[in-house]
Amino acid sequence: MSNTQDEAVTRLDSAVAEVFETMLERSCDPLEGEVDTVEGRIVARIQFTGAVDGECLLYASQATASVTAEALLGTPSEPHDPMVDDAIGELCNMIAGGWKSKLASPDSNCTISTPAVTRNGLEGYQARFGTKFSRKYSFQGNVFGVVLAF
Amino acid sequence: MRALIIDDSAVMRKVIERALRQAGLELSEVLQASNGEEALQTLRDNQGSGGLSLILSDINMPVMDGLQFLEARKQENLAHGVPVVMITTEGNESFVLRAIAAGAQGYICKPFTAEQVKARVLPLLRVA
Repeated sequence: MSNTQDEAVTRLDSAVAEVFETMLERSCDPLEGEVDTVEGRIVARIQFTGAVDGECLLYASQATASVTAEALLGTPSEPHDPMVDDAIGELCNMIAGGWKSKLASPDSNCTISTPAVTRNGLEGYQARFGTKFSRKYSFQGNVFGVVLAF
Repeated sequence: MRALIIDDSAVMRKVIERALRQAGLELSEVLQASNGEEALQTLRDNQGSGGLSLILSDINMPVMDGLQFLEARKQENLAHGVPVVMITTEGNESFVLRAIAAGAQGYICKPFTAEQVKARVLPLLRVA
């Protein structure tokens, strides 16, 4: 892995851990090695524009998204609750913002979009940027993935 | 006390309200808006209908963002003297300086704890 990618991964791990510990009061750890079992129908996307052009995608199964929303809100979520999509979007927003805030100047001089959430999964997704990596995380046995491209 | 929470995420509005209650604020009413334009209308509709004590606003929102809201609020002289705290993922210095120039009294970076909300908000309510 190149230095740039190494640093980006470290920043991402740190941003994810910070969001989970602070907002969900859960620890969340990266999964090392290949993990092929992440079902990801709900996808949230944030775009970076400016000194860094890129995007951050967070994807999760309906079940993981529901658990995430419950942890964030502190209340049970209903099936097809729009709050679940909203929670995944906001999680992606905070992780992307946290990653961005850890960039050194002048790279941190970029804006981030509001989150767009779809239920189309990641099939056919192709990053338009030079550097791309994906990472899987687990909290209490619930697994989700993050793709960062810039 | 009455507070206005402005955020395009309904989840975040709930999380912020919970953090305010955990901070010990006795909220009699929480008004909500999903962008700056809705928030301005809420302030216009509530003029003279009892005191609003606090406004918490996201920066990055569709339709009208938090900085535009602050500037429009100042121009229309709405909720004069009510402290505004920005809650944002944008810790970028230029955003913060622009928010303060437009009338914000403080900011809280997401992710945040209830303790951080308490530390930033309570001093403003004491002097307001």
